[in-house]
Amino acid sequence: MARRSDLELLEDLLARENRLLSAYEAALRRDAIDPAVGEMLRDHEREHVRALEQTLAGYARNPRAGVAPPELNAALRSRQSFGRYAIALEGETVAAYTEAAAAIGRPGLRQPLGSIMCCGAAHAVALRQSLGERSFVP
Amino acid sequence: MAPSLTRREALGGALASAVLASCGGGDPPPSTGPKPGSGAALLGSLLALERAAIAAFGDCAEQLNGPARENVRAIQDQERGHARRLEELVRGLGGEAPPGHTAEEYARSFPRLESAEDALRFAEDLKEREVRAYLEALAELPSLELRTQASRICVDEGNHLGAIRALRGLPTAQGPFVTGAL
Repeated sequence: MARRSDLELLEDLLARENRLLSAYEAALRRDAIDPAVGEMLRDHEREHVRALEQTLAGYARNPRAGVAPPELNAALRSRQSFGRYAIALEGETVAAYTEAAAAIGRPGLRQPLGSIMCCGAAHAVALRQSLGERSFVP
Repeated sequence: MAPSLTRREALGGALASAVLASCGGGDPPPSTGPKPGSGAALLGSLLALERAAIAAFGDCAEQLNGPARENVRAIQDQERGHARRLEELVRGLGGEAPPGHTAEEYARSFPRLESAEDALRFAEDLKEREVRAYLEALAELPSLELRTQASRICVDEGNHLGAIRALRGLPTAQGPFVTGAL
């Protein structure tokens, strides 16, 4: 597969962060997440979106249209189902950061992208904890 | 006023001593195989940190019970996997992983842990240092392959840090950026 440009990597991360932000906002509206946990996760995602948009301001952008995945509606039926859905979404986003933090051409961006990646990993722990799981280490 | 050393600084200092002891002093120098700038030296430093952490998590587990102990043991197991991966990477670059120390030698350089709270605080400090070390490595490792490996381990470290913070009753992430900012 052809190596993606910095712009493509960053646009992809932004789209994923927006998807997470929308999911937590919807879950809070529908009481599908513990409010304290949901607010923390939502606020972190807002900061990630802000930081990525700020970084992308220096590029000739090709923004992606954000579409809510159909599974979100089904996931919002209960805290349990939303928790599972959000863990999977965080996992996919962390995987995208894992690639981007290593592959991005600007070395100065690797560390901050890694920092957001670690935050995503910690989000999955918060979600597992909110589901009452004993083990936080996958 | 005389400068004072906080408990956290003392704990961190103990880890730094253990890692430094692993990197030099009694250990033989790395083999002459890897080329300068290959990343082998940096991987060797990460390996030393992982080995010290494996020993430290063993000490921490002794102070813990129930889910806290299970989680810390699971973290220790993953750290062993990280150490094996780093050893392979160093060998792949033509180097030879230094032998490290015995658990007893590491234990002598750690602070005395007298309670579960001591153990978890020490564990959190260790994890913060590991996360920081891998984030720095991401910026410095010369090849995409090595950075990808470091990035994968770094995700585990972020997960471990979140888990330990959860066990301490803290929010799993200190903030939106685990260290630094975009």
